[in-house]
Amino acid sequence: MKYCTYCGAALDDKAVVCPRCFCATNTRPIYQKGSVRGALYCGPQFAAPVVNIPQPLQQIPYTQTPYTQTAYAQSPYGADRFGKEVVKVQGLYKRYSKKADWAVTDVSFTCREGEIVGLLGHNGAGKSTTLKCLEGMLPYERGEIKIAGYDIRKQPEAAKAQMGFVTDNHATFIKMTGVQYLNFMADVYEVPSGERMKRLKELDAIFQLGKPISNLISSYSHGMRQKICMMGSLIHRPKLWILDEPMTGLDPRTMRAVQDFMHRYVAEGNAIIFSSHALNTVAKLCDRVVLIRRGRQVNELDVKSIYASNPNFDFEEYFLRNEQAESEGK
Amino acid sequence: MNKQKVRENKERAARAAEAAQAAETAQAMETAQTAEMSGVKPRIVKALLRKGREERRSMFKAGQFDFFGFLLRLLLAAAIVALFVIFFGRFVGVYIDVKTDGKTNLVARATELFTILYSAVILGMVIGGVGQLGRELFSADDMKIFSAMPINARTLFIAKLLSVYKAQFTIAVVAVMTVNATFAWKVGVTAAFWVISAAMCFLLPLITIGIAAVIVPLFQAVKRFLRERYVLLFIVITALLGVGIWLYSILLGGVKELLLGNSLEDFFNEQVMNAIASVCSYLYPARWLAGIIAGSDPIWGWVGLAAVAIVGITLSILIIRRILVRALQARNQSSSPALFRNSFITVRKKKFVALLKREFLLIFRTPSYMFSYFSVAFIMPLMVYFCMDVGASLIDKLVGIDCKLELALFLTILFGALTNIFCATNISRDGEMFYAVKAMPINFKTVFFSKIALCLIVTAISQVASAVMLFASGMTGLANALFICVIGLLFSFATIAVATRYDFNHAKFSTEDDGEIKESSGTVSMVIVVGMLLSFVVGGVVLLLNILFQLRGMALGYLTYIISGGLVLIVAGLALFYLLFRLKKKYYEFSGGGI
Repeated sequence: MKYCTYCGAALDDKAVVCPRCFCATNTRPIYQKGSVRGALYCGPQFAAPVVNIPQPLQQIPYTQTPYTQTAYAQSPYGADRFGKEVVKVQGLYKRYSKKADWAVTDVSFTCREGEIVGLLGHNGAGKSTTLKCLEGMLPYERGEIKIAGYDIRKQPEAAKAQMGFVTDNHATFIKMTGVQYLNFMADVYEVPSGERMKRLKELDAIFQLGKPISNLISSYSHGMRQKICMMGSLIHRPKLWILDEPMTGLDPRTMRAVQDFMHRYVAEGNAIIFSSHALNTVAKLCDRVVLIRRGRQVNELDVKSIYASNPNFDFEEYFLRNEQAESEGK
Repeated sequence: MNKQKVRENKERAARAAEAAQAAETAQAMETAQTAEMSGVKPRIVKALLRKGREERRSMFKAGQFDFFGFLLRLLLAAAIVALFVIFFGRFVGVYIDVKTDGKTNLVARATELFTILYSAVILGMVIGGVGQLGRELFSADDMKIFSAMPINARTLFIAKLLSVYKAQFTIAVVAVMTVNATFAWKVGVTAAFWVISAAMCFLLPLITIGIAAVIVPLFQAVKRFLRERYVLLFIVITALLGVGIWLYSILLGGVKELLLGNSLEDFFNEQVMNAIASVCSYLYPARWLAGIIAGSDPIWGWVGLAAVAIVGITLSILIIRRILVRALQARNQSSSPALFRNSFITVRKKKFVALLKREFLLIFRTPSYMFSYFSVAFIMPLMVYFCMDVGASLIDKLVGIDCKLELALFLTILFGALTNIFCATNISRDGEMFYAVKAMPINFKTVFFSKIALCLIVTAISQVASAVMLFASGMTGLANALFICVIGLLFSFATIAVATRYDFNHAKFSTEDDGEIKESSGTVSMVIVVGMLLSFVVGGVVLLLNILFQLRGMALGYLTYIISGGLVLIVAGLALFYLLFRLKKKYYEFSGGGI
């Protein structure tokens, strides 16, 4: 007997797609019943007896399971799932100075409505640089970046209004309180006054920052800064959510909540691009993965199709073997 | 090719040296880990001192080194020292000739002079020492790392104390040697004078660190108390600055009386000399230092000094050791009381206003920024008033002409420029958040003008208060006060615009945890020089012209308004052009900041 890694539903041994949540990742290893990882990755029925489970893990809201039929039913794209192109990156070249080597070379990819695209690569591969070019933080030498049809160079404000971003260092205005920061972001992204309280409550339900939201951000821990960054980037409900290493520093509970939220968010017709080294996260979350190595785009993989055709596909193994092959010059 | 090879070899050698150093440090750390934890580890102390040295040296590395800024700072420091040497040299010449009981007394005069000057040096060094100890023990980012390393408190303490001693020693050398050399220039001295001077440079930091160590826990407690009570902090800082300015005004008043009197010799009459002697007799430990260097009381001087140095170093060891662990823990602990309302303000603001508020909060909630800008701007009218009071009477007395309007213009412009030096960090103080704002849907003009607008609001309050003060004290009429205010505002705009753009072109973001800029940059020096030069061009020109015209029996009249108005309009126009020149392109292509 197998169990779906997302919703924990019991599956037939031959099943490739979970009948309950349509998840194609159900062939991922199932963690042992009673283990903490089991509870985290395979649903509450895998949780260990109460005495062995730390208190917060028992409270994981499993009702927010991704890829539920309800979520799909709400998706405007139905079975196809993916809609219009939100991001188009074509032949991107970037270097930090004329004397320096190219940090990014000929990177091209797209991201459509309802899609989660992951940028995958080792440290210094060029993921963050690509995302920073996408966000309009950094200029680039060649190529084209379009966000919801707006060119980031020619119509920067219109393009930036379509996105929310979380930087890798979770940079925020530390001399503001959490509330002031969210208000600032709401002002900048022109969120109507009447909407703000509602959205704050929604975001607080996901990220559970609680009372410290009224404290100065300078007093926040690393994870709390990450949370307020994410909240700020979502206050205007952007069409595109860009996250650079989003799961770093988050506690397992929030990590889970964020992953769930990401699925629900794209199901509403939005798009997400994120970078990560965490292969498990990428495999679990993404529809597509863009592999970047030493600034070059080496591959683009359709995660769902791969798992559908090869249920035993090991992402980690693939990544490491590819890396090794390249370093050996194969 | 050869050049490239040489460069490659150099880089390889540098990498090898770095690796060797890292290995050495790691080895030193390892030794400490395995060795007994209680004693001082000289190797670790050496490694820690080397780390500090390397960090300081890194600012001179190619690509990081701001040669222009460094040169400007050096020139500014040299100018200050040169000015001191000239004025103090002249004063020494007059003062040693002052007669008491009908005869001159070189030893007594030298003792008085040295006592007063060394007191000032000690005061300055103690203030600096409190800051250095606070920085080294409570604010230094490395304390966070050290607290988790196998470095015992005693070793860390010795390393920190030595680095503070080094800094204090440098200040002592510059201050004591400048004073003593100027004295030696005017009065012949023996070789012993120089030997004693050198000994003093070594001893003085022991005393000042001791006094600073007593003050530092108290200072930190007050700082902690005020940390997030921003309004109270603003009031306290501004009040302290106000008191400082008031004391300065008393000094200026004294100088005025001195200069308006018949002669310096007349000023130092029997009564004044008795008062000076009486005050000097209480100014210990400076009195001992003066007794040694002037030869008036060398034995008691050495005894007293040795005693104070021993007490000082014992006190510093005891106190710093006591607070070190607490300081380490305090560095790692960041607690913040919920001082703010737990509500979500739903009033929608325009982007410009939102950025303006953000900028205000950033300055207001960073004590050093608050002091450098808000408090200084708040006190600026007082500075204009006091200098105006002294300057107008002096010009009237010395040259015999009335030029209140021109002087007020000059002072308003000069102090406006000095207040707005803070704007030289308008971009750099944003740190990496400058990039975050860049990624937001905000027009580049909104970003820049929100910063400029805040500075203009602050400067406007300051300029209006200054004009009101000049008018209320009867120094100028209403129309002239308004004119001064407008000219001051226009000039301030020019300073702010130039400072902001220059900082954008040479942005250097802070790499500190809190993102605060703690060191002065080349941009600041440049803005000081440009601001002062321009204020002399705009304000100084009309002042000089008026003096020249009146000396020739003519009146400048409306020319004052035309010249200063014209000049300031040209300067403001040029500044606006400099600010906006290819700004859009530069903003969207910005990838500087050094992080």
